[in-house]
Amino acid sequence: MAETQVSAPKMVPFVERMPRPPLVENNRSMAWITDLIAGVPESKTPLWWFIAIGITGSIAAFGVFCIFYLLFTGVGVWGNNIPIGWAFGITNFVFWIGIGHAGTLISAILLLTRQKWRTAVNRSAEAMTLFAVMCAAIFPGIHVGRIWMAWFLAPVPVPNWIWPNFRSPLMWDVFAVSTYFTVSVLFWFLGLVPDLATLRDRAKSQVGKVVYGILALGWRGGNRQWRHYEMAYLILAGISTPLVLSVHSTVSFDFATSILPGWHTTIFPPYFVAGAIFGGFAMVLTLLIPARSIYKLHDVITWNHIDVMCKIILLTGSIVGYAYTMEFFVAYYGANPFERFAFINRYFGPYWWASWSMFTCNVIMPQLFWVRAFRRNIITVLFVSMCVNAGMWFERFVIFVISLTRDFLPSSWGMYYPTWVDIWTFVGTIGIFVTLFLLFIRFLPMVAISEVRSVLPEADPHHVPPEPPHTGTAVEDVGEAHA
Amino acid sequence: MKRIFQHPPEPSTGRRYWRGLEELAETPEFKSWLEREFPEGAADLETDGVSRRNFMRLMGASLALAGVGLSGCRRPETYIVPYTKSVEWLIPGKAVLYTTSMPRRLGGMPLVATTFEGRPTKLEGNPLVPGYNGGTDLLAQASILNLYDPDRARFFRENGKESAADKFEAYLKQLRNELQQNGGAGFAFLLDEQWSPTRDRILKKFQQDFPQARFYYGDPLGNDEINPVTEALFGADVILRPNFANADVILSLDADFLGLEQTLDNIKAFSARRRVRGSTETVNRLYSVDNRFTITSGMADHRLRCPASHIPSFAVALANKIAAATGDQGLTSLAGQFKTTVTFDEKWVTECANDLVARKGKSLLLLGNRYPAPIQALVYAINNALEAFGSTIQVLTAPKIKGGTIQDLAKDVKAGTVKRLFILAGNPAYTAPADLQWAEQIQKQIPEVVQLGYWENETSTNVRWFVPEAHFLEAWGDQRDPNGTYLPIQPMILPLFGGWSQLDLLSKLAGIPGGLEAVRETFKTLAGSGDFEEAWTALLRHGYIADTAYQASSAKPNLSGLSGLVPAATSLPAPVSSPFEIVFPGDYRVEDGRYTNNAWLQEMPDPITKLTWDNAVQVSPVTAKALGLEERDLIEITAGDRKLTAAVLIAPGHADNSFTLPLGYGRDRVGRVGEGAGFDAYKLRTTAALYFATGVTIKLLQKDAYKLIRTQLHHSMEGRALVREGSLEDYEQNPAFAKKMWMDAEIPPNISLYSHPPLSAPNQWAMVVDLNTCIGCSACVIACQAENNIPVVGKDQVERGREMQWMRIDRYFSSADGDVSNPHLDEEPEMVVEPMMCQHCENAPCETVCPVNATVHSEEGLNVMVYNRCIGTRYCSNNCPFKVRRFNFFNYNDRSVLDKIEHGLPGFEGKQTLILGPLAKWGMDEISKLQKNPNVTVRSRGVMEKCTYCVQRIETAKISQKIKAGVTGDLSLPTDSVRSACQEVCPAEAIVFGDMKDPQSQVSKERELPQDYHLLEYLNIRTRTSYLARLRNPNSKMPGAAKIGKINAEHGDEERERTQTSVPTGGNA
Repeated sequence: MAETQVSAPKMVPFVERMPRPPLVENNRSMAWITDLIAGVPESKTPLWWFIAIGITGSIAAFGVFCIFYLLFTGVGVWGNNIPIGWAFGITNFVFWIGIGHAGTLISAILLLTRQKWRTAVNRSAEAMTLFAVMCAAIFPGIHVGRIWMAWFLAPVPVPNWIWPNFRSPLMWDVFAVSTYFTVSVLFWFLGLVPDLATLRDRAKSQVGKVVYGILALGWRGGNRQWRHYEMAYLILAGISTPLVLSVHSTVSFDFATSILPGWHTTIFPPYFVAGAIFGGFAMVLTLLIPARSIYKLHDVITWNHIDVMCKIILLTGSIVGYAYTMEFFVAYYGANPFERFAFINRYFGPYWWASWSMFTCNVIMPQLFWVRAFRRNIITVLFVSMCVNAGMWFERFVIFVISLTRDFLPSSWGMYYPTWVDIWTFVGTIGIFVTLFLLFIRFLPMVAISEVRSVLPEADPHHVPPEPPHTGTAVEDVGEAHA
Repeated sequence: MKRIFQHPPEPSTGRRYWRGLEELAETPEFKSWLEREFPEGAADLETDGVSRRNFMRLMGASLALAGVGLSGCRRPETYIVPYTKSVEWLIPGKAVLYTTSMPRRLGGMPLVATTFEGRPTKLEGNPLVPGYNGGTDLLAQASILNLYDPDRARFFRENGKESAADKFEAYLKQLRNELQQNGGAGFAFLLDEQWSPTRDRILKKFQQDFPQARFYYGDPLGNDEINPVTEALFGADVILRPNFANADVILSLDADFLGLEQTLDNIKAFSARRRVRGSTETVNRLYSVDNRFTITSGMADHRLRCPASHIPSFAVALANKIAAATGDQGLTSLAGQFKTTVTFDEKWVTECANDLVARKGKSLLLLGNRYPAPIQALVYAINNALEAFGSTIQVLTAPKIKGGTIQDLAKDVKAGTVKRLFILAGNPAYTAPADLQWAEQIQKQIPEVVQLGYWENETSTNVRWFVPEAHFLEAWGDQRDPNGTYLPIQPMILPLFGGWSQLDLLSKLAGIPGGLEAVRETFKTLAGSGDFEEAWTALLRHGYIADTAYQASSAKPNLSGLSGLVPAATSLPAPVSSPFEIVFPGDYRVEDGRYTNNAWLQEMPDPITKLTWDNAVQVSPVTAKALGLEERDLIEITAGDRKLTAAVLIAPGHADNSFTLPLGYGRDRVGRVGEGAGFDAYKLRTTAALYFATGVTIKLLQKDAYKLIRTQLHHSMEGRALVREGSLEDYEQNPAFAKKMWMDAEIPPNISLYSHPPLSAPNQWAMVVDLNTCIGCSACVIACQAENNIPVVGKDQVERGREMQWMRIDRYFSSADGDVSNPHLDEEPEMVVEPMMCQHCENAPCETVCPVNATVHSEEGLNVMVYNRCIGTRYCSNNCPFKVRRFNFFNYNDRSVLDKIEHGLPGFEGKQTLILGPLAKWGMDEISKLQKNPNVTVRSRGVMEKCTYCVQRIETAKISQKIKAGVTGDLSLPTDSVRSACQEVCPAEAIVFGDMKDPQSQVSKERELPQDYHLLEYLNIRTRTSYLARLRNPNSKMPGAAKIGKINAEHGDEERERTQTSVPTGGNA
């Protein structure tokens, strides 16, 4: 009898909205946040900063020496050869470009999808993006044989009527990366304007007043200005969003459109984008966790933020792992002996250790993040993000170099061994990257003050404070909170 | 220095113009004025010591530098001299060709030298000389670089101190007086084996004038062992030459007749019998028995791995079979004089002997020229039983100057009968058998040594006089080719460092006119009855004189003479296990050591081992495993009381328990190129063991201690059907068997979304390489290097994988990648070679990826490289499936990569290299610039380069055709009027280049052949270069015959299945 009766439609009960965890913990006030963030550039430069920039600056300087040595002597100072035309240079380029993806993803896509937790990390992630893209941009420039002729890449009208070859993915790369860098700079700087005005207003030194004053572009915080500002920010976010997907897709075309087994794969665009976000978030964590401890940003960059980013790493890491496996399957299923050989060689050939390092770091280690406790433990989070950083570098090495070492004719198979210049150029760019980041946290607000303030409960016009707002100075409170 | 040239008489047609009434009257004053060539101002040049040719040379180099060669480079250094007066027949910028020839051990090689503004840049074979097709070989190609070797001897030296030519001349004059008094007592010459009628004439005169003078030959790779046998068999002044045109079955006992012992006409005749154009009837069959892969045994249909010390026993075993089959009593008794305990695969010997006997009169047995005379005698006796003389072996009358060996010389020196030694050739201090102790004892015992040498070498240390030698392109001379055809040697340039030729020295010593006059004197006897000047002009013009070949000798073989050469009950070496044997063959690149300072040859990968810049001890994988040896290990070899340390190289296909160390390396006193290269095998080579030594022990000294640099690291084809081969049976069943192999069996139809620009020019260039005749000699590699100004990069750079040669010869072993631990290692691998250069894909992967349009397609189907546009992204190379593109990682031409600092860095093993780059010396040696081809850009740092199909030759041909035709637009060139450098050099005519749009061209005809296939067709790249499949001719009765011609079925079960379904299997499969 029960079968014949149509059960009555169930009423969907009104689900009470679950209380979300606060984005800024300990009920901090707007003033407290301003004091905390703006206080960093305003305070006296600490000793550790000098030591740190001394070290990273030296490494960067040696890297620059290596670059000049390369430019004056020839690409031969690297270990590249025939058949391995691209090695560390392009590996590093794609590695850094990949890291540059997290910033724009956080600032643009998360803005459009109204993920408010982005406000705590977007500024430093964007800065990281810029610095990573700068590091990346070094490599395509210096890896060419005749850098003084690199302007041939630009579509400028010249009397001999020779244009760049628009069929070449390297050409697409030039446009994609330069567009991405330009938009990222604009986006980052636009976001900085209100905070620069804050710094200007608070500046005590004359130099600070002038420099921050110029950079703040006359920002007064008026209603009209905010209206234009937010519209511009939204438009830039709209422009950036496809770029996040397009840049790394374009970079992957360098390989996917070639005929080399191991490169010639349609899976590359999504796989590269996922990998880039994966690597980018790992780098954000690598940089922010120490900065958070040093500058006591625990209330702003909370465990919830770290937890969310760990989840993104877990997701994108699994996508990457799927891609690795699917590549292998397709090589088997496609029955193309060259493809099959390329993948067997990748994992069982002379560079097996690179591939297995990649697989372990990128696929196995992030699985730790299924466990909540590991997502909320400084040691494991740092450890996994370091693994991912290394793993993503290996991924590029594995794809580019191992595929080149053994292609169609066994007679021309070769091996690649890096020289000291290869290694030190890469280490040098790490030096440049960290140096730039140290300069950034020293002189600019590393968290978007105005945006964090806008996500405080009291920024909501309908907000009813549950208890009297917290009083007291930031310095004291931080001391109390973490005593 | 003034020279009077005999201009070719102009035909007196049409109106006659004269320069003055004096000319009409032909007054002597006017004639002498004309002879001065550049009448006005010539005296200025001659008074200040600058010869006309020297002037031309400097001017030519400056012109090449300033205008043609380096116009794209920065900082041109220009010294502009108006080029208004020139050598005869010269049009600036156009090549002038002269015939000449190169002296070689088995007879001169006819050549045509290309000169630009008075400097020779390239040598080609002389296509007019019968028996050749214009081919040359490796050493001839590389000899042009010797001419411009900055390290060559530059000074006359007396007791080591710099001296002058006139002082030496005064010494010679004084010496002649002395000789006239004592009749040449105590006087001796050390000579090389060459066939120069003028030299022979002067030496004969010397013999008559000074009857007590002695002659010795000191060539370590010479024919000392064969000559007494020939003489015993046929009498004096007879040479024996194989005639491959008649040979249906050939058995080579370690006779490298396509490699070290080759003559070009032999290669041509042999490959003519391998070429298949429809009919397979003429295809010969080659059996080879040797201890290591040689160029010859790579071509073999059946190969038996056999230690060198077993070869004599093999000859005896074979002799017994053949004697039994032919009933030859002489052979039976001769074979009975040898005692041996070595046994062989009975079936192999029997079936091979049966095959030889079955084609009696059409079969040929060859033995390496350095096996001892008794074995040579036995082999000739077998040939006699096979009725080879007169058919497959030509017996020719060839007069020669007799002389002793270097051992005889040493004996005479010790006996005190040699007081004065003129070393005209060779380097005895380095090459003489080690037990003679030449440098330590013999040379010191001779009171006076005079050395004529191209380089100051090991022998130059204890000599009274050292005389710098002229290159054969710097002096007059003559040669007979291996068949006896008379060839001139014309100088192209005055001696760069005032060197003397052998003829110069001999004629001055003999007190007769030398150089040109001496050669003309010799030629008088050959010129015939007509006008001498006309004949002389014709000789120089054609580069040979017809009907001067040696006459066939009527002498019949006298077998009884042979038994005298074989001591009764000669016991042959016992089977080798441990202790082992070591073999000392010549090296394909440096021969006996005379080319050690030639950078092109040093950097050229050995045709078999692919080793560059070194030699090494080759050992079979099995023996290496047994001894625990790996590649790059250093071992100590002990032969008797002599020891040598050398590096190990694993050589698939090498005989077990046998080691091979080529001669010619490890020189003590050599130029900058050869310094520190390889190991000196001469240290182990004694009078008793001139070719191989037995009783050798091996001790491992150090693992992985010596850098051996090979250009090819992987030796297996991995089942990829790159070289395609089949047996004749396969071919007869399906001539197109090669078209549908492996992946090509299932290529899906291709629909292109992209419309390609039409290839519409009247000429469409293409190339076909016949793998069936290519012997892998690598002459094309050097020809390409000479033609295209390809730099040498040095051992360090080759180690990094940056060799620049545009051509390479891929060499694969079936199932053998040299990895000793590989369980699939085939101990009896087959070897195949495949020349690889830019394939000029119509749908080229390199072109689409270049971001700056630096590599593009021409309408003639060429894949063109625009150096000026290239920025060096190297993307093209990454996307090239053949990896034939080469990148200038450094400025190899102008900044030496050898200028560097070695420094230690924390965290790095060993020393790291800091290349000085901009701080290094700028520019090329002045002398090295002279070799450059002005029609080819010298590439700078940071650009990609590759095979161009010799586009400069195409353009030159077009220009001359346009001048003839008087047109400016497109025009079609006459059939086969362009030859690429690799095609031109190939003695086997394996490479054919031409216009595939012209149905008459050879290349179109070859592309139509059923065995033609394209590489990696699956990739839809549409290569313009195609290959003709290799065909083997196995004897189905031989052991292992089923395996022959099946290299494509070699790897992996799955791949084998795939191949076997697509290959029509012959009866052997």
